[in-house]
Amino acid sequence: MKKIMHLLEYDFRNFFRYRWWIAGMISMNLADLIVMAVVYTNMVSQKVSGKYLNYFLFFSPGITITALFAAAFMIGREINRELRREISHYLLSLPFSRWELAFGRVLSGGLRGMVYMAPLLVTTIFVTWVFTGNLPSVLGVAIILVTLFLVSIGTSGLSITMSLSTKSFEKFVTARGVVYYILFFCSSVFYPLDFIQQLGREGVIPQLLVLIAEANPLSAGADTIRSFLLGHPAFNPLMMLNVAFFAIVFVLASGFAYLKILQG
Amino acid sequence: MIKHVLLVAERDVKMFLQYKFILILRALWFLAQIALFGFVANRMVKEDVQIVTGNYFYFYAAGIVITLLYSMAVFISYDIYEEADHGVVEYLLSLPISRRELVLGRAIGGGLRSFLYVAPLMLVVLLMIGMTEPFRILIAFVALFLFAFGVSGMSITIAVSIKSHDRFDILLGVLNAFIVRLSTTMYPVVFMPKQYAVLAQFNPLTYAADIFRWGAGLEATLITNPFLSVLGIILFFSFFTFIGIIFYERRLEGGGWR
Repeated sequence: MKKIMHLLEYDFRNFFRYRWWIAGMISMNLADLIVMAVVYTNMVSQKVSGKYLNYFLFFSPGITITALFAAAFMIGREINRELRREISHYLLSLPFSRWELAFGRVLSGGLRGMVYMAPLLVTTIFVTWVFTGNLPSVLGVAIILVTLFLVSIGTSGLSITMSLSTKSFEKFVTARGVVYYILFFCSSVFYPLDFIQQLGREGVIPQLLVLIAEANPLSAGADTIRSFLLGHPAFNPLMMLNVAFFAIVFVLASGFAYLKILQG
Repeated sequence: MIKHVLLVAERDVKMFLQYKFILILRALWFLAQIALFGFVANRMVKEDVQIVTGNYFYFYAAGIVITLLYSMAVFISYDIYEEADHGVVEYLLSLPISRRELVLGRAIGGGLRSFLYVAPLMLVVLLMIGMTEPFRILIAFVALFLFAFGVSGMSITIAVSIKSHDRFDILLGVLNAFIVRLSTTMYPVVFMPKQYAVLAQFNPLTYAADIFRWGAGLEATLITNPFLSVLGIILFFSFFTFIGIIFYERRLEGGGWR
């Protein structure tokens, strides 16, 4: 455990060394919140966003989850860089077992996502409280945090798995973009899940997209926050099961991929 | 001189075509934007939005193709970083081409290749909307061609001003976030709060989106008249192509790219 703590310290120091990156990410999230969400609030029909009071309140938890996802994804970028510059050789020379190294990197990616996301979650809770007077219970906050941690560590695993599949930075960046768009757009980040399901029933969008949106861990994460802050959709334990499955699959996949690369 | 400049531009276009993986993924990204977000958002918006835009899906598709043109034109800077990393700059400097020709060729190549890549996707969007006025489309394409040059120049200017690849990637992300959102690529100006609407009026992406929509016959939502849009794009192109050339040329002296 002590060794993993050293790895966490190493990754957190690296994280905070990227002041530019953090500033950039904050700007992007602010741009989404203060520009895009505000303009779309003027445009989206109340029939769609009425259950959440307005689109701004609906979208705030969505931005929180996208920020968590992007921050947790950052570890993949660093590991890709370490591979290209052969820093991984230095890491192998350290007195850690390979499992500790692999697991420590996945865990730190997930924790960094949580640390980055925390101010946005607080902002979302504050904004919701100002508009609706709702505050989540202690149990509600605990469930939100556990769910988000599982999304974060699963994302970290996904990112590491992808980063180890190519040494080319451009390919990694582009693949990351595509994964972002598929996971963001086929989810309830931008639009309510019941609205997507309604469009599926009407035959407007293919059922496959509805299924992706329903199974998407980002949908489960965003809807868990909405359940406890806005009261809609109702919380379902399947949401937690969904993100737990996502986390287990990608933590294991990235651990094995990392071990394979290190030993190769 | 022109022959040398064209040789450099040709090299950049050929290099671009080597990124098959990236080109395919970017096209998928564009399709995801339109087919997923555009389609669902079209159903989510109020009736007023459909009245103002005529058809929000078409409006959005015409805007997103401009954001794609912008993001592809920016891509030239990644090549510049790769060349600095792999020692290709020394090779380029050893060629019998003056530095000014080299730099001018990079700016032209960057704009040309992005335009060549995005033009077929623009045609897809135009076919979807329905092409009614070919002459207008021609004017719009010429203006967007200059816009792509201007964006390449801007990207080169930023790339040679920042040595760190990471910082560049992040700065570009921030710039993209605000420049795209504070433009009329995704939403009509009438639904933007006043302060945002003012900023959108001075945004080159707004000019590019407006001129493309004008070419496509989606005129109801334009905030600038076509003449001013073309003028804005020419000013943007002239400024950044000029600045980019000066910065890049200076950076090439004395190993400043390392």
